[in-house]
Amino acid sequence: MTGRGRGRGRRMMTFSVEAVGINRGDSLPPSIQQPTPLFPVMEQKPLPLAGGEEAEYLLALKQEFRGAMKSLPCFIQPAAAHRDVERYSDKYHSTEPADGPTDWTTDWKRFPKELRVRVKKPTRDGVSAAVTRSDRVQSGQKKKKIKEKEEVLLKLETLEKKEERGSSGEEEEEGEEKKKKQEDEEAEGEEEYDEEEFEEETDYVMSYFDNGEEFGGDSDDNMDEAIY
Amino acid sequence: MTAQEVRLCGLLLQEHFGEVVAKVGTHLLKSGAQNLRTIIHETGISLDLVKKSLCVLVQHGTCVFSSGRKAPGSPTEYRTSCDRILRILRYPRYIYTAKTLYGDTGELIIEELLQRGDMTMSSTVKTVADRLTQNMEEGRSMDYSEVSSAFSKLVETHFLQRCPPMAGAGTKDSGTPATPATPAIPESFPDCYRVPHVTLIGRGKRRLSNEDGEDQRNAKKTKMDSETHGDEGIYWQVNFERFHLHFRDQAIISAVANKLDQTSSEIVRTMLRMSEVTTSPTATCTKPLSANEIFRSLPSSYNIPRPILDQYLTLLVDDPMEFVGKAGESGGGMYVVNLHKALANLARATLESVVQERFGSRSARIFRLLLRKRHLEQKQVEDFAMIPAKEAKDMLYTLLSQNLVQLQEIPKTPDYAPSRTFYLYTVNQLPTARMLLQNCYKTVANLIERRLFESKESKRLLEKSQRIEAILASLQASGAEPEQLTEVEEMITAPEKQQLEALRLHINKLDSAENQVDETIFLLESYVNSTATS
Repeated sequence: MTGRGRGRGRRMMTFSVEAVGINRGDSLPPSIQQPTPLFPVMEQKPLPLAGGEEAEYLLALKQEFRGAMKSLPCFIQPAAAHRDVERYSDKYHSTEPADGPTDWTTDWKRFPKELRVRVKKPTRDGVSAAVTRSDRVQSGQKKKKIKEKEEVLLKLETLEKKEERGSSGEEEEEGEEKKKKQEDEEAEGEEEYDEEEFEEETDYVMSYFDNGEEFGGDSDDNMDEAIY
Repeated sequence: MTAQEVRLCGLLLQEHFGEVVAKVGTHLLKSGAQNLRTIIHETGISLDLVKKSLCVLVQHGTCVFSSGRKAPGSPTEYRTSCDRILRILRYPRYIYTAKTLYGDTGELIIEELLQRGDMTMSSTVKTVADRLTQNMEEGRSMDYSEVSSAFSKLVETHFLQRCPPMAGAGTKDSGTPATPATPAIPESFPDCYRVPHVTLIGRGKRRLSNEDGEDQRNAKKTKMDSETHGDEGIYWQVNFERFHLHFRDQAIISAVANKLDQTSSEIVRTMLRMSEVTTSPTATCTKPLSANEIFRSLPSSYNIPRPILDQYLTLLVDDPMEFVGKAGESGGGMYVVNLHKALANLARATLESVVQERFGSRSARIFRLLLRKRHLEQKQVEDFAMIPAKEAKDMLYTLLSQNLVQLQEIPKTPDYAPSRTFYLYTVNQLPTARMLLQNCYKTVANLIERRLFESKESKRLLEKSQRIEAILASLQASGAEPEQLTEVEEMITAPEKQQLEALRLHINKLDSAENQVDETIFLLESYVNSTATS
């Protein structure tokens, strides 16, 4: 009984046509052949936004809040994507989020143990004098084994480097020493240390290598001749 | 946790906390409670960043952690919920309300707490005093005691509450199997609204012109200068529910003012104010108040005689919106404010206005008719609405296709034969309200995406203008001549200026629209929540 009209006659429908109000002779609206457009035309235009002092103040509050949140330590930047080649402009783009992690002091008792990050690691990237001084005190108490090993290696390194570098080298060494004393994690410390090791300690002893810097230095005495 | 809500939460987290937190947050929203390892594995973010993101989320109250469900020793699980994140949309409104109620001090206190998630009273007071001092003239500074008193007032009126202690956070290793699965609700805490005794004496510090050096020195000072003020470990957070009650009251009062007149709205305001502390947040109506009490508590500027007050009350009771109801005759008449009914009426008005603005006033007439008469046949709709048949049909089908109107079948025979079934049109208010609420979430998400898109398009131009502003500011600070300033200003060409202006206008419009949609969201959410509890 039901569905008897299926296929017979174009205009049979599953519900009673009269009851819903489509009388004979009325044309049905054209059937839809494709999905509705993404931005359909609106017959009624929407009302304008509510203006007024309150709305403007709320708007200003909202935008200020957003801006303020961006500068707080809660705003976590993803790890900066390393580009394929080091570019000159990288020096001028500020990638470090300043002293974000250091600012954020919170009561670690309210967090589960596994989230307590800051208790172990003091800052690694703070290079300013104030930070290094305070951190050196902190890190001096921890992981003495690594310190000793690093110090021995450092001593060897300093002896080698003394031959090539002048006064600028000593300052760099001190900077490197400070950096290393801040580093707590073994892996990171060894990684950075290894890099520097490779920079200075190549297979070729530096003093044997003549990189041509002394060339042309002798001819400074006699300025009459042309320098080729 | 619908798809639209999750999408909106992701966008809000991204705007306020960064992409990493957004990823972690949406992952938690979609997958429910998870432990740290699973989160790291499934999101693919490094351990460090995930830990930081979870800390940020926990501090702001969006994420809760509890010991694992499987066994007492299993790792902690983290859970987020949409509601708390969606509140972020309403932050400007909270701050503005605090400003109207408690002045600039209150405004800054709420703003600081919203930005940081939770803070102790002493640190809040210090930061706010510093900020206020910054904006005052030279030589004047803000005293800590003023800020403390504003803070206490906020706590007394329950706008701020203490954070509940995290059970199981510190005692995880002690192996107590009875750590509760859900963290304690702040209200269940007896000391929730007790202001601790804090010794705070001092004035706000003004930041000097050399800001960078001062910042570092100040930062160092705060680190080394850890004076205890007697309230360590007591953290305060903003009590959103209280703000919502306040917004609800305001909505009712303004509705009465629009429908009737100013005096009636003042009467309703008085009634609501008197029942602020005696009414629980989920109550259907306020406690009954006698007309005598209302008369005594009316503000002195409104000295209306007693019989007039009685007439106003009778008018309010007879009004079809049913804001005020009569609960008895003692004491000159006992009156209540029907909170849930008022919310339902406000939601209904919202639905009607949506239909009116989308489909025209005649469709709105049909919609209102169906709301009032519940079930109507096609023919009856045409008759009651006084709209010609063809147009009525058209409008009904449009509303039906948008799911604002539903078709109810009533069979005469058990086999549901179409010729022998009644087809009635009907509107169900609650499901329609829910559907519109989801539409609102989608709207806000679209607005945010469009705003991000517009900013991204003109990123280069925005950066250039920011740099030029920075150059101008530094030049002005170091005292340059006007010619230099104009020269720098001219680095932005006129068409670029126009573009910037247009961009600013668009972004302001989109932001304003978000605020406005949030008002609708609040109404609909309150209505849906009120039906859930009653």
